Amino acid sequence: MNKARNAGKAKSRWPLPPATVRAVLSGHGILGLAFAAVIYLVCLSGTLAVFVHDLERWEQPAAPAATHIDDAVMTRALDVAARKAPAGTTLYATLPSEQEPGATIVAYSPSFEREWTVDAQGGLVEKAAAFSEFILKLHIALHLPRSWGEFIVGLTGVALLSSLVSGILAHPRVFKDAFHLRLGGSRRLQEADLHNRLGIWALPFHVTIALTGALLGLSTLIVGVLAMLLYRGDTAKVYGLFIDAPPAVNATPSPLPSVSELLAEARRRAPGAQPHQLTIENAGRADVRVTVTSQRDRLLVPQDTTSFDLAGRVVKNQHPDDLAAGTRILGGIGQLHFGWYGGLPVRIIYGLLGMALCVVTSSGVTIWLARRRDKGRAVPQWERLWAAVAWGQPLALVLAALAAIALPSTATALWTWLGATLALLLGFGMLRLPAPVCARGLRLALALALIALGACHLLVSRTTPGGLFVDIVLLIVGAGLLRSYMPIHFAARNG
Amino acid sequence: MLTVALVGVAGGAGGAVLLRRAWAERTRERAALVGAGWIVLLATLLLSAWTAGAVKGGAVAIAGIALGTLGIVAQGRVVRTARATRDMLAPEPLEGPSRAWRGVLKFLLAGPLGMAAAMGIAFCYATWAPGDPRTRIIVGGLLMPLGWALAMTWTLADQRLLRAVAVLVGTTVAGFALAAVRGLA
Repeated sequence: MNKARNAGKAKSRWPLPPATVRAVLSGHGILGLAFAAVIYLVCLSGTLAVFVHDLERWEQPAAPAATHIDDAVMTRALDVAARKAPAGTTLYATLPSEQEPGATIVAYSPSFEREWTVDAQGGLVEKAAAFSEFILKLHIALHLPRSWGEFIVGLTGVALLSSLVSGILAHPRVFKDAFHLRLGGSRRLQEADLHNRLGIWALPFHVTIALTGALLGLSTLIVGVLAMLLYRGDTAKVYGLFIDAPPAVNATPSPLPSVSELLAEARRRAPGAQPHQLTIENAGRADVRVTVTSQRDRLLVPQDTTSFDLAGRVVKNQHPDDLAAGTRILGGIGQLHFGWYGGLPVRIIYGLLGMALCVVTSSGVTIWLARRRDKGRAVPQWERLWAAVAWGQPLALVLAALAAIALPSTATALWTWLGATLALLLGFGMLRLPAPVCARGLRLALALALIALGACHLLVSRTTPGGLFVDIVLLIVGAGLLRSYMPIHFAARNG
Repeated sequence: MLTVALVGVAGGAGGAVLLRRAWAERTRERAALVGAGWIVLLATLLLSAWTAGAVKGGAVAIAGIALGTLGIVAQGRVVRTARATRDMLAPEPLEGPSRAWRGVLKFLLAGPLGMAAAMGIAFCYATWAPGDPRTRIIVGGLLMPLGWALAMTWTLADQRLLRAVAVLVGTTVAGFALAAVRGLA
């Protein structure tokens, strides 16, 4: 009797009545199903994007990975880069650190884009990381035209955020079941436990990722509408609140100022901060502006900024206390989203929680499919298609990486991924095999592809500690998947 | 940063162990243990923020705590062969025949109308809230996806569609009008 009363009390604590819980759960299901595939793809590519700098070094083991570059060496490297780029290009130089090795220079103008890694002598090695670039572009805009792609990814972030909210509201036993993970037995119960435990305990992290991702994706739209509302469509006025006005135009050719002297001055003006990035606008012209951005240990992103003109005069000197909260938040959104701020330990945690979000998405669909099956309304074609997404997407990405090793270009990776995705969806849509068989087949294919990727990379690339570590991870994960496949396969054959 | 991350994971695991013990009995909750568990999680967050900076340390702690608690969930997994009973399963979603026009209207409510209403709130905040305009724009920007997500959750769950239409259209018109009147001072 007491038990029943206590249970009743526990139930009544939930703020929503049962009918509302069921309605919210219904909405959660509709939203989840509508966006499942794209949420899964964005989460999977995002999990890889966390490691994009590691992947770049894995793809190009010959690229130098200095942990320290002398100012004079960086000055030489920037002079070389400025000569290779058309006048007026903006150069972005990232200085290395123990946590983030590898100095890079990016040259960018609307008609020119090039990226180099700087070696210890100031030589430039052109960056060739096709697969990493493919992954980053897939995550940011799904390789669609930028504004459309970003909007869809932003919308996906909103849908994920909404699913997280409705998932919590529709879970009256959030505390009662907080630690239950019942594997085996009922498929639906197992998947529901996985879905709920991963979704709830990682909720603050997942909300952070979804919210920052949604804002990053929707920022162009928000700025566009705000500008239409307040500035007759002039978006430059909105952006102008956050970025400095360009220097007065003077296109007279001119060599770069001495960057080492500017770095020394920036250090003097920002004690306790270490220069992290150099931005050289209008390189090779008299209206050049050099901005040194410096990092402090306890801050998420660099917030000390010193800008110089051609003569080395300081035109701007800003420190964290001078910044508006909005500017500080804006700077941190990308870092919070991608987890690039805390070295390898933070990236590993982000990677594991990113994989958890993929499992949450996949198990959500599996629960819906299992519920239909339990009620005698199975949808085998959707079950096969979901297997083609859940196991097929990692497989398609591994195939894209293999193709990028054989023919290093982003287009190769893109077309391989697209071809594999379409082939898997069409193939499994038409096949008449049971979904579990399809899933097992795809898992086996993924295991073999991971092993092939690790082995091929070991064979064709120069071995570096970082590259070897990635190869070993690929081989271990591939072998682990293969091992998990074997008992089921043999049991099925013997049974 | 390795130390801060490890503190986050360890604190998350420690807090989770206490909470798991507190909630182990389905019929009785041990308030002291529940409190202790949440205090350990909160202390981990504060310690990380104090050690590595408020935002940086806090962000690492949020991720580390999540991983630590999930480790405890995984460690306590039960492998079973029994079928699920009705009591074990989550609540069932509302199901029933639905009309096509309701589906279209729900799509419009959760999609474009929800987006417009969320933008109205965001721009209203950006123009009327006190403080630096850059901060108002960024906070407004963060409110937009959040408001849209809440609108999605509400409109997909609410069966009274006309009420949802009225609220969203009203919010949109009021938000945009107020923002246009005030401007970014």
